[in-house]
Amino acid sequence: MAVLRTLLYLFVYPGLLFLFVYSTFCEWFDRKVFARLQNRMGPTHTGRFGLLQPVADIIKLLAKEDIVPEAADKRLFGALPAFGLAVVSTAGLLLPVWNFDLAAPSFTSFQGDLIVMLYLLSLPTLIIFLAAWSSTNYFSEIGGARVLTMLFGYEVPLFLAVLSPAILAGSWRLAEIAAFYQARPLLILPNLLAFAIAVVAVQAKLERCPFDIPHAETEIVGGTFTEFSGKKLAMFRLMFDIEMVVASGLLAAVFLGGFPGGALVGFLHLVVKTLFVIFLLSLIRAVTSRIRIDQVVTLAWKYLAPLAVLQLLIIILLKGLLS
Amino acid sequence: MKFQIPIGPQHPALKEPISLRMTVEGEVIVDADIRLGYNHRGVEKVAEEKNWTQNLYLTERICGICSHSHSTCYVQGVEKLMEIEPPKRGMSIRYLVSELERVHSHLLWLGVAGHEAGFDSFFMYVWRDREIVMDLLEMITGNRVHYAINAVGGVRRDLDRAQIDKILEGLVTLKARSEYYLHIGANEPSFVARIAGVGLLPLEKAVALCAVGPTARASGWPRDVRKEDPYAVYDELDFEVATADTCDVLGRVVVRVKEVLESYKICEQILRNLPAGEIAAKAPRKAKPGEVVSRYEAPRGENIHYIKSNGTDKPERLKVRAPTLGNYPATVEMLRNGFIADIPLIFAAIDPCICCAERAVVLTEARTGEDRIVRLGDLRRQALERHPQAPLKRNAVWPF
Amino acid sequence: MKIAALLPELLRHLFKKPATVDYPFQKIAVPEGFRGTPYLNPAMCIVCRACERDCPAEAIEISVVDEAEKRFRMVIHNDRCIHCAQCVDSCPTSPKAMQIDNLHEIADDSRLKMKKEWVYVRAVIKPKAPPAPPAAPPAAQAPKA
Repeated sequence: MAVLRTLLYLFVYPGLLFLFVYSTFCEWFDRKVFARLQNRMGPTHTGRFGLLQPVADIIKLLAKEDIVPEAADKRLFGALPAFGLAVVSTAGLLLPVWNFDLAAPSFTSFQGDLIVMLYLLSLPTLIIFLAAWSSTNYFSEIGGARVLTMLFGYEVPLFLAVLSPAILAGSWRLAEIAAFYQARPLLILPNLLAFAIAVVAVQAKLERCPFDIPHAETEIVGGTFTEFSGKKLAMFRLMFDIEMVVASGLLAAVFLGGFPGGALVGFLHLVVKTLFVIFLLSLIRAVTSRIRIDQVVTLAWKYLAPLAVLQLLIIILLKGLLS
Repeated sequence: MKFQIPIGPQHPALKEPISLRMTVEGEVIVDADIRLGYNHRGVEKVAEEKNWTQNLYLTERICGICSHSHSTCYVQGVEKLMEIEPPKRGMSIRYLVSELERVHSHLLWLGVAGHEAGFDSFFMYVWRDREIVMDLLEMITGNRVHYAINAVGGVRRDLDRAQIDKILEGLVTLKARSEYYLHIGANEPSFVARIAGVGLLPLEKAVALCAVGPTARASGWPRDVRKEDPYAVYDELDFEVATADTCDVLGRVVVRVKEVLESYKICEQILRNLPAGEIAAKAPRKAKPGEVVSRYEAPRGENIHYIKSNGTDKPERLKVRAPTLGNYPATVEMLRNGFIADIPLIFAAIDPCICCAERAVVLTEARTGEDRIVRLGDLRRQALERHPQAPLKRNAVWPF
Repeated sequence: MKIAALLPELLRHLFKKPATVDYPFQKIAVPEGFRGTPYLNPAMCIVCRACERDCPAEAIEISVVDEAEKRFRMVIHNDRCIHCAQCVDSCPTSPKAMQIDNLHEIADDSRLKMKKEWVYVRAVIKPKAPPAPPAAPPAAQAPKA
């Protein structure tokens, strides 16, 4: 029985099948909101309301010719998209959705899984950099350099921002943090500044406007993904979609009180809360224009990091007051 | 470590093929090399085979965005050669379409600048409102681009009361929206951070490199053919030349939006004082021998057409100097010491209309520096001979 | 410098209908005077060949079918036509033999299907009847006093 539950967990929900299907739904939601904000229609005709459009895009990419540049490192070039997909899917398994027992830690929910999740979400950046490096194309090299520069910018504010609610809840385990805020919902409010910083930092991690510098279409063609085509590009796109779901799931678990109530009610909580976070991400994407790489680093270190430290101080004071 | 990045001929930042080879060090551009000729169509040669009326449509198709400016500049010259004066009403309608074309071109540019900077929402909104101008132009002339409203001696279509009222209504909406876009363009922090201080062209350099149009006006140089050398109805109209002092891309945005607001003023004045009368004078089939230089303020700058006639019904020589060609040396200057991230914006800020500027190309031998004339048939044969012997470069993996 | 200056406008548009026209399920009507494709009214054509001479794209081709019967063939090559309507302007007859409609969805997958042909006999424009003789001259000059 436990084996069956584990297999269900790994492959159906919240494992591979759920991540693949839900991430395409979230991409549809993001594109539709982005379009409606701009007074356009968004995907409409593929499937009812255009729901099948992201799936159609991936199928189309899978069917295209897959060209590998002659000077590129073929093994690395071919393995990296699969690595990326594997890494973000593993991160998805750590979301506290069901099949965890608050009293007894298991392999998907243990003390410190917050750190493991953040680490697994940083790996895709490194994978993208390696993908750019192994492409041996000038545009890719510039894209790769930009992706690492951005990592130096947003990683610290993201870690600090996610740290604040963890400190208030007094635990490193996602399930316990979520349970703490479910019991005391009012304590979500002191963390709002951290929520804002985390949303901006997640936007940078997902390389969306205003931070889509590494694959800025109008400047460096495809940036890091210039040389990828066909199946490999499909896997990278799917990786970004799943990363969006996992990152918004992380923010929902840490800031918005998680996904209580077992499998079905937890699923509804998951959908509502992640869609709320994705709505905020789409809003930021529509409101701003792309900024330059040096401006990202300035923004991160001048504004985001000090604000995150300030939030940390507030939380520590609050914890002292509460106890 | 310096290396060369090719921007173009195919690049998402460019709407038309042009090759800019940048020498970069890290993210800073050290030098730029512009190579033209990818969009050459032989328009000037074809113009020698068509009669004066057919050339109206040929010159219009030199460009899609500034089509009316080429057609009008040409027809001004031809009317001078034939010594005919179009009636007042015809001239007013012709220059009303000119100003509406200026509005459409600048709104198009504003959207494209937003897109190049990554500000997609701005791009979508501006182009949605540009549809108002396109619909007005379709109502007046019968087509959204390539208006074909000029005839030698005047215009081909008249305006009636209902159309005039519709145009005035559309202008009111457009004025409100343009002021809103000026407010957004100058105030959205991420957008301003991209365009302020980028692509600097100081006034002395602008004068020395002969910049034209909004590129020059954003450096504080009030050049405008409509004021310096007024043609047709412009000496009776009240408008101002828009300038800015910041010499950067933000200045060019501001200059273009201010010009759009001035164009609305001009359109209203033309419509309220539209004289009654004929719309075209009868033109002879042949023009008297002579040569004429015709100047016109296109949305991108000063457009010059030189026409030489030898007394027949076809021109002997038509030479077009499009405004973008005058801005290329200034572009190279602006690109130096900029960042790679700024290339699309700096290049887009001169409002490049590359197909306008592609007139004749001279290829020189790289080693000896001399040029020679090769027939097209010979070039094609050389290419076909070389192709089978060139080594196969791809390493493709075919799916399924 | 306002942060997120575009935000109110964006949020307002979430609740408005999109500005996109869902072509081809919805179409916009073209305005009157739209320049579509040219066509011939053979009853009025006097084969002056002005349209053939003035067409910038050489899209009109007039050839003789039978010299004695004055039978001509006109072919309009719609794949070459640039829709400028200069042929309509050059046509000297009244009402015009060459006219333009407002069809714009004329794309086809083969150039050869886009040519239209008319075979007709040259029209003869009857000369207008001479103007009615002037009214009888006014009464003879007043007799000299």
